Amino acid sequence: MADFGGWAMPIEYAGGGVLAEHAAVRERVGVFDVSHLGKATVTGVGAAAFVDATLSNALGRIGPGQAQYTLCLDPGSAGVVDDLIVYLRSDDDVLLVPNAANTAEVVRRLVAEAPAGVSVTDRHEEFGVLAVQGPRSDEVLDRIGLPTGHPYMSFREVEWGARGVVVCRTGYTGERGYELLVPWAAALALWDALLEAGEPAGILPAGLGARDTLRTEMGYPLHGQDLSRSVTPNQAHLGWAVGWSKPTFWGREPLLDERAEGPRQTAIGLLLLERGVPRPHMTVHDLQGQPLGETTSGTFSPTLRTGIALALVRSSSERPAPAVDEELLVDVRGRRCRARVVRPPFVASHVQD
Amino acid sequence: MEPEDLKYTAEHEWARVPAATPEGQPVTVRVGITDHAQQALGDIVFVSLPKVGAAVQAGQPCGEVESTKSVSDVYAPVSGVVRARNETLDSNPELVNASPYDQGWLFDLDVSDPGELSVLLGPEEYRATLG
Repeated sequence: MADFGGWAMPIEYAGGGVLAEHAAVRERVGVFDVSHLGKATVTGVGAAAFVDATLSNALGRIGPGQAQYTLCLDPGSAGVVDDLIVYLRSDDDVLLVPNAANTAEVVRRLVAEAPAGVSVTDRHEEFGVLAVQGPRSDEVLDRIGLPTGHPYMSFREVEWGARGVVVCRTGYTGERGYELLVPWAAALALWDALLEAGEPAGILPAGLGARDTLRTEMGYPLHGQDLSRSVTPNQAHLGWAVGWSKPTFWGREPLLDERAEGPRQTAIGLLLLERGVPRPHMTVHDLQGQPLGETTSGTFSPTLRTGIALALVRSSSERPAPAVDEELLVDVRGRRCRARVVRPPFVASHVQD
Repeated sequence: MEPEDLKYTAEHEWARVPAATPEGQPVTVRVGITDHAQQALGDIVFVSLPKVGAAVQAGQPCGEVESTKSVSDVYAPVSGVVRARNETLDSNPELVNASPYDQGWLFDLDVSDPGELSVLLGPEEYRATLG
């Protein structure tokens, strides 16, 4: 068990292990208990418009029943306070799923600016979240009567055992799959039902270890490592999650200024060309030995059977960040391992399959 | 369960000490990590071993075992010179998980001071350190 944002969570399950759990998700199906994820609602007349005017992405790009990746930026610096998923139920009803450790802060910032008639409510411990991920996810949900087959980044709300369950076609693994928001009291029953229904498909419960190897292979950032208040979306290649033409959102001005000047640091992916497992906070050098920055995430890729990392390296208009295919060095506990710059994902995404 | 015929260290290495060594020849011990160690590490993905001919010092790190979760130093149980290393682990590091006391051995060591062997732990003493 590990402490993760104040939640006791398993790194791996008995009888599984990171590699087995990772393979189950890539090849069959796995289920994660990610109930630590935050949940908050923004409701009332103009709720969606308020979210659109504060968080980075343009909510107008989606309609009711759809979900969107967005960012809560610091208004002063455009640093990432949190990255989160927004579920648009209606113009007056929005559900937010922030990271566990940042939920209280995101809620605090929204509450402080909410206009009259819009309520922001922290519902962190009202819902569990179970993520069913992998190419055989549909058959598991089908067997317990949950809806499947809706488009990626959309959701359905249904009754399951007299409880309302939100079935979202979202995830953090790069595989086809679903995230289920279920009332806390029904979460354990749903977990058991999923494991039983998934048995013919070879389902495995999967822990934080596999969640990390799977998301790192996709280059999905983790807030607290790859993203923080000292990293902006320009630096992290998250401009696609910004509604640039919106007249207002938190962090708009510093973000536009930085985009014009060029970011002072840039996120890159690194594929190790030698044996070694990069971990966070390892120094990245150019081939001349000049330090450029450091890794923010790193792991052994079970799919590629080699070390992979996400890193932040210095950049400027005079000296842009290292280009794709350029070779760099990662200091793995005193040993400088050659690594190639790649543009994540490291492994092909199957979320749209 | 830890085999009864091995010696152990508090750092979770085992050493197989031969019952007898011919006169005039060095005592060669085989070294690995314990079942407890491999379980705690989880899936092992890289093993880095000292080179053949390298001199190692008792209690000093001389290699690394890296899992999906973390990396651990391997300590030399006694001082000596590396006689052989388990080359199979380069391509099959998971043998340390599957067979920690047999196919997952790490290296053989020609012991420089056989007196050091007496400080190694017996199976009961090692189990006691696991609490």
